[in-house]
Parts: sequence; C-alpha cells; structure tokens
Amino acid sequence: MLSGRQQVTGNINSFNSIINFITGIDAEGLQIMRWLSPLEPQQRHQDVRTDRLDGVGNWVLETTEFRKWSDTEDGLVEPVLFCCGDPGVGKTYLR
Amino acid sequence: MIDSLCDQAAGKDVAVVGLYCDFLAQHEQSTTNILGAILKQLVSRGGIPGYIREAFQKAKREFGGRGLRLPDMVEILKKTITSLERMYICIDALDELVPKRRRELLRSLKEIIRASSNMRVLLTGRPHIDDEIVECFDKAVRIPIVPIQDDIRSYLQMRIDVDTTPKAMDAELRADIMRIIPEKISEM
Repeated sequence: MLSGRQQVTGNINSFNSIINFITGIDAEGLQIMRWLSPLEPQQRHQDVRTDRLDGVGNWVLETTEFRKWSDTEDGLVEPVLFCCGDPGVGKTYLR
Repeated sequence: MIDSLCDQAAGKDVAVVGLYCDFLAQHEQSTTNILGAILKQLVSRGGIPGYIREAFQKAKREFGGRGLRLPDMVEILKKTITSLERMYICIDALDELVPKRRRELLRSLKEIIRASSNMRVLLTGRPHIDDEIVECFDKAVRIPIVPIQDDIRSYLQMRIDVDTTPKAMDAELRADIMRIIPEKISEM
C-alpha cells in the first residue's frame, strides 16, 4: 500500500521540479521551450503517478533484464528494452 | 519506470525523460514534436545550451519563425546527450502511434543511439509491434508484462477500501472477489 513518506518525498520532488522549471528559465527560454515542442509529457506523468498503487509491478524492476539494462556499463549492453503486454496489464503504471 | 530510474539517478549527471504516446493526440505527436519534448526535458534540467538558442534565433529570422526539421532535431539531441553521463528515455504506448510515425520514431532513435553509447531506451507497447522494433533493434531485450496475482490482490484491496457503498458487500462476497478475480485474470 501507499507509504506516507514515499508519497511526501514524491510530491516534494515534483514541486521542486515545477519550481525549477518556472524560476530557472528566462523569457526567451520559455519561447524556446515552446518552439522545441508543444507537448508537455510531465502533465500526463503527474496523473499516472497519482493513480499508481505503490508496489504493483515492482517485480519488473527486479528482473535480470531490467537490472542489466539500467545498470550495465555503456557499450556492454543492448540499449533497447521493450516491455510488451496486452492492453490493461499495467505497462504504463510500472514504477 | 521513470520514477524508479530518477531515484537511481539522484545526485548523478543522469537524465531520465519520458513520453506517453496517445492515439487521440496523433496530430500533435509528430516525430519532431516527440523528440522535441525529450529535448525540452533535457534542457529544462541543465539549462538551454548556446547552440539551441542560436538555432532558435536563426529560425525566428526566417519566414514564419519555423520549427525545427526532424534531421536538425536529431542532430541537436545527439549533441545534447553527449554532455550527459547517461540518459534514459522511456516511451510509453508506442503502439498508439500511427505505423508510419512509429517507424520514423524508431529510425530516429536508432540514429541517435548509434551516436550515443550513454543512452538507454525503454519502450512499452502491445506485442504486435514487436516485429517493427526488432526490425530496427534486432537485439532488443523483451520483458513480457503480465499481471501477477499479488498485484491484482493489492489493487482489489485498494478498490474495496475506497468503495463508496461498502455495506452492499458482505464478508463472503468480499472473500470471493479477492479469490476469484486474481485466479481468473491469471488464467487469461
């Protein structure tokens, strides 16, 4: 179930990134951001993390495949990992 | 995935960026915009490099202040990734892109990866796009995602806990729900 501390840390992290995002960038910077892309994937990410149930899907993070992919030195590992599954199995909600 | 990688990356010069593909947003989600959104996340953590400002100034002077073209976007991304220790890109629901765009995105990623050994890409999607992924990345590692019984039980428990009419359910029904649904789903 949800761990209170994790939840709070998660919220603080996301507030920090929003604050950095707002304060760390000048007016031209904001124009450049819009010019680079109109997409704002952070918004969807906030929705997903809000709805996610902690612990669910964590077994994926423990697989040898995932560990190798995320930990191995550059050049010694295949850089592309594909998590495949039918609709609704929880691919989006992996933590 | 993004949050776990972020936890791992804390304190290091490692960038974790992500994007959710959405069939309903297909007009907006061009390959250039998708890669642009990735670049945007990179520069919003480390500041906007001079070469991006210059490209922007140049584009502004041109007719209509046009946007970057895909090859230029790919080049700028390559350059920006070089300055990092490592970068993880997570792209969710690749199957929601129209096939033509998916191929274009995979090919662009391939080109960026070729120039950036410090990059890792995590893709999620339905199994039917496997062939297209293998076509671009013949050694791509696959993890089949299947719901496991423990996860289904935690989810059911959470839904029962927040049920708005808990009195409609007696202990027996609750026990049946917790037993039968996980069994049925894992038989699927």
